[in-house]
Amino acid sequence: MIFVKENAPHLRRNAGVARLMLDVVIALLPTLVFSFCVYQLATLYTLLISLATMLLAEFIYVGLKNMMKWDGQKHSFKERFIYAYKNYSINNITAPLVSSIIYTLIMPPSAPYYAVFVGALVGIAFGKLVFGGLGSNIFNPAAVGMVFSKICFGSSFSTLENTWYYSTPIISGGTGGDVSVGGTALTNIANGIEHIYDYSLLDMFLGKMPGTLGEAFTITILIGAIYLIIRRSADFRIMLSYLVTFVAMMAVAGLCIHSLYKDIDVGYFLGFQLLSGGLFFGAVFMLTDPVTSPTNRPGRIIFGMIAGVVTVFIRLFGALPEGVAFSILIANMFVPVIEHYKWSSNFYTWKKILCMAIIFIIPTIIMILAVLYGGVIVHG
Amino acid sequence: MIAKVNHIADTKKLLGAMPTIRFVHPEYVYLAMTNARCNKAELFIKEGDHVNMCQVIGIRHAAFFDQPIHATVSGTFVGLEKHYHRNGKLTDFIKIKNDFLETLDSSCTTRSDEEIKKLSKDEMTQIIKDAALVGLGGSSFPTYVKFQTNVPIHTILINAIECEPYITTDHRIMMEYPQRIINGIHYAMQAFGVKKAYICIKSKYKDLKYVYNQLLKQYPEIELKCVGNFYPQGWEIAMVEKALKIKMQPGELPSKYGVMNFNVSTVVGIYKAIKYNQPVTSRNISVTGDAIKFPQNFRVKVGTSVKELINLCGGYKDDGNKVFILGGPMMGAALPSDDCIITKTVTSVIVLKETKEKEEPCVRCGSCVLSCPTGLQPVLIMNAVKTLDRERIKALNPLRCIECGLCAYACTSKIQVTDFIRKAKVIAKL
Repeated sequence: MIFVKENAPHLRRNAGVARLMLDVVIALLPTLVFSFCVYQLATLYTLLISLATMLLAEFIYVGLKNMMKWDGQKHSFKERFIYAYKNYSINNITAPLVSSIIYTLIMPPSAPYYAVFVGALVGIAFGKLVFGGLGSNIFNPAAVGMVFSKICFGSSFSTLENTWYYSTPIISGGTGGDVSVGGTALTNIANGIEHIYDYSLLDMFLGKMPGTLGEAFTITILIGAIYLIIRRSADFRIMLSYLVTFVAMMAVAGLCIHSLYKDIDVGYFLGFQLLSGGLFFGAVFMLTDPVTSPTNRPGRIIFGMIAGVVTVFIRLFGALPEGVAFSILIANMFVPVIEHYKWSSNFYTWKKILCMAIIFIIPTIIMILAVLYGGVIVHG
Repeated sequence: MIAKVNHIADTKKLLGAMPTIRFVHPEYVYLAMTNARCNKAELFIKEGDHVNMCQVIGIRHAAFFDQPIHATVSGTFVGLEKHYHRNGKLTDFIKIKNDFLETLDSSCTTRSDEEIKKLSKDEMTQIIKDAALVGLGGSSFPTYVKFQTNVPIHTILINAIECEPYITTDHRIMMEYPQRIINGIHYAMQAFGVKKAYICIKSKYKDLKYVYNQLLKQYPEIELKCVGNFYPQGWEIAMVEKALKIKMQPGELPSKYGVMNFNVSTVVGIYKAIKYNQPVTSRNISVTGDAIKFPQNFRVKVGTSVKELINLCGGYKDDGNKVFILGGPMMGAALPSDDCIITKTVTSVIVLKETKEKEEPCVRCGSCVLSCPTGLQPVLIMNAVKTLDRERIKALNPLRCIECGLCAYACTSKIQVTDFIRKAKVIAKL
């Protein structure tokens, strides 16, 4: 019997990183299952390709990182293998699993195999492994992969098809008046503000509209959110500050648009903006990734607010119809600034509150001016 | 997971209801020559000398105060022996063979209530100084220094919160010696000229509430305050804030706000010193932990060997590796051997089975930041220590840390965050 020398505290909480990851997987499961029911093969092959890619990349990375150094002696391949992988843990499996499920659910159903593969590879390699693996990355790997894939292969994503769950409305677009199949709710509105009424709010809430593989199913996402908050595996402050900032700015924007176009109802505009894209999915599963978010309370609120402001600006003025993934990546970039040692603290000081007010008020003023006098939104 | 953690799995229910076993006749007692605050000592006796109980047999010298060493039993001085002190160092101990007679020293005179009524604050301070009374909650801060303050005091707080898991000594003292506690509080109130005193307990202790609500009806000047059940509620800043709604800044003394706080064991010590002119010769102790066969509360002589107590508890459960702690499991030091001695300030002996926790990479969940009672950001301090960036460490102000251990307890990745903060404190002081 030995009396172990260890420093206080001698008790540890019953919690673990693996459990944290597993909670996110459990929270994602309803959405994944629903997505599989609606899109069937598309979900399956996206998930399998991305999961295999990410697991393999992580496996190779760990092997390279822990490779046995040359010590003048001959070692068999088995010895070298065991040496390199003796620290291979459950985290090397659950973390890519979470990333690949999130990546799957934010990919469009029409993405070809190679686009899924390249996106997953870039996401895990340049979003996470180059920084040093779990806990060291500054960008959300799933968002990096999706954005890369969309930028590189976006044009090769085939047009939307009807599923048993919904059918895309036939709309007339373009100048020639030729009839074509409509896009997602947000691509439609980019063609003209009057397309806001293409989908009813109920249909959008139920996910009866084209979108990525998982972002449209608001009900299952909210079930996941409730699970995460009950299990405390995600910080509600980030979700809340993101959604509140988004709703507040969109309400102001709605009022401005209503003053220009009397037939657009503010409440409907707000509901449309909330339900039409990956807002809830991003808020619940991507923004709350603890690795890429700040660690203190006011920092988390500021982080959510930045993401919300960026989402609003991309939605209203950007060339892209959807801005959630980009806003998450941009907010990730602000994390080191938010956590800079000179001002980072866990207290709500008046400086922090002032900072939050500035983050909200100045972009709102710019947005009002741009909507009223810029005339950027409405193309139709 | 990502949550503010301030509740530690409650392990007190077992011991809280158990009566205290009196074990006041050890064959030998061992008295420390030096301790964490005093590093030099003188002995007044030679080998073979007979000593009386409460006799001053030596003196410890510290930077700004001297502390007499009192014999806690009567018997013969055998010699010096090396044992482990509570602070983890091998220390010389004065070994006294007990003659089981308990002959009191001539200096121990019982004061009548009238005599005590006449005592001034300075006289009381001198009595307490002679009795070498220190904070018995574990801080071992000399109590007479607290008595010397010239700041006007309007409230006395008695800390019986005992927020560390496993320990039940204060709980048992409260249950078993209510009259000593109340008298001790009255003496302290007399010394400071205070009209109001509060006894702070955890609000979940229903038995204490029941007893003291009955008892304190006769003493309207003393009131029971039920405070929170969380850890570290016993930290004086948290206690003062919860009990009196005064917000203190870390580093300030409660006396600045007219508040004086004592541990409940210290109050019993004050009572003994003023009423009987005796130093602390015995104290309550919990011997517990998941590796002890039959955990027990004890009333023991100061200077009892811990090995004897563990044998009284039936020994260890199995032969696996153990963590041997004197003090609470959150802040106490783990000793490399069970060959150690109960000193005045040891509140408990806790033996835990060794749990091998595998450290995982930090996922920045922020539980440590949310949990820190002083509002520090342990994860940022840890990263600064890893890069040895002194400027960053200083800016993050690790000297506020009270080493309560919550950051490491809360860590999702099971990282020893508190160790990094300790390093940061060293670097920041450079």
